[in-house]
Amino acid sequence: MLIYDIRFLFIYMFFVGNLIFVSKNKHLLVVLLSLEFIVLSIFFFFLVLLMFIDYDMYMLMVFLVFSVCEGSLGLSILVSMIRSHGNDYFQSFSML
Amino acid sequence: MFFFILTNNNSNKMFFLFILFFSTLISISSNSWFGCWIGLEINLLSFIPLISNSKNLLSVETSLKYFLTQSLASINFLFMILIKFSLLKNFDMNNIISIMMNSSLLMKMGSAPFHFWFPNIVEGLSWMNNFMLMTWQKISPMILLSYYFNKNFLIFMIIMNLIIGSLGGLNQTSLRKLLAFSSINNLGWMIFSIMISENLWLFYFLIYSMMIFMMISLFFLMNMYFMNQLFINNMNFFIKLNLLINFLSLGGLPPFMGFMPKWIIINFLLINKFYFLTFIFMMTSLIIIYYYIRIIYSSFMFNYFKMKWVNLLMKNNMSLINLSSFISISSMILSTFIFM
Repeated sequence: MLIYDIRFLFIYMFFVGNLIFVSKNKHLLVVLLSLEFIVLSIFFFFLVLLMFIDYDMYMLMVFLVFSVCEGSLGLSILVSMIRSHGNDYFQSFSML
Repeated sequence: MFFFILTNNNSNKMFFLFILFFSTLISISSNSWFGCWIGLEINLLSFIPLISNSKNLLSVETSLKYFLTQSLASINFLFMILIKFSLLKNFDMNNIISIMMNSSLLMKMGSAPFHFWFPNIVEGLSWMNNFMLMTWQKISPMILLSYYFNKNFLIFMIIMNLIIGSLGGLNQTSLRKLLAFSSINNLGWMIFSIMISENLWLFYFLIYSMMIFMMISLFFLMNMYFMNQLFINNMNFFIKLNLLINFLSLGGLPPFMGFMPKWIIINFLLINKFYFLTFIFMMTSLIIIYYYIRIIYSSFMFNYFKMKWVNLLMKNNMSLINLSSFISISSMILSTFIFM
């Protein structure tokens, strides 16, 4: 894909991450990995943005802290699901 | 609700509840969009421990679905904030960026067309968690919506909300899903009221949350989750009367409390010549009142057998039920003293 501007890379990464999130997967872990991929694309975008306007990177660190918290929350829900269902397959959702 | 939390040795629930309240305040009072995103993230982080506390399969699945939809919505929201910042579109609200930001906020609220997670999750939560989900979790996305909205997109979303909320509840037998679809319908009213003025939204939201609180506390005290439980046990007359009054008030019938905010919104609609939208609001309200009356008709009018194994200990604390009925009936007059 021809890139004339660096912004296309972020939008491409973002859309690919969203595409994997909404695709039919066998495991839950793939969905959580796609979330982390979107976070990575936002991290990259944030970095380039802050570099272009010569800001300090404090906001980037705050963003990183919050996305790591959210990723660990996702993993803890995965662990809770494995403890109750036995696996992390999507086919074991039968209640709702 | 706090009494219930204090008596069950659940001090960690109080802690997460405090952080939940605080996160909404962070989100709506921040100087920049990044602060809003931080508030939404802390909201998610503190609501998940509140709902995933019991050790059955249903609560795990519920918290998983809630986590996935909310985190996707807030990550998309942040990406759109960054694009808006980089393209310097702070005041131009008629573009695709405002549509994307509004879409992610609508997904956080559970509004149509992103509503598919909402009845599922409401089915899996207890009544008090449902109350938090239906009332408090809507505050911060709504106020953020009012900061940067695309008017045409939102009017289309309002129409979808009303239609899906009214037609979706027709085939439900679970009380939680019924209230979920009613909540989606009321979201349509609330989004329109926040487009008019934030004061009007606050009025509608307070009255709506009071009505929902009365209904949910009634269902919680009687431990009722399904519609057949309403008319299998022969309840006390005042409980049935309270149920009737609360359901009709939620539907928006005139002498009750729920009519007042809808009346003001319809007044605004007709003065400003939004005739088609008025038609949609009216017709969907009619469908909602139909399925409320379907429930309370069989519960209120008929006399069922009194089963000996159902022991409803409601004889001692009837004063709260009478008080809530009184508030629902007389609030039309009382509210004019507060807000006018």
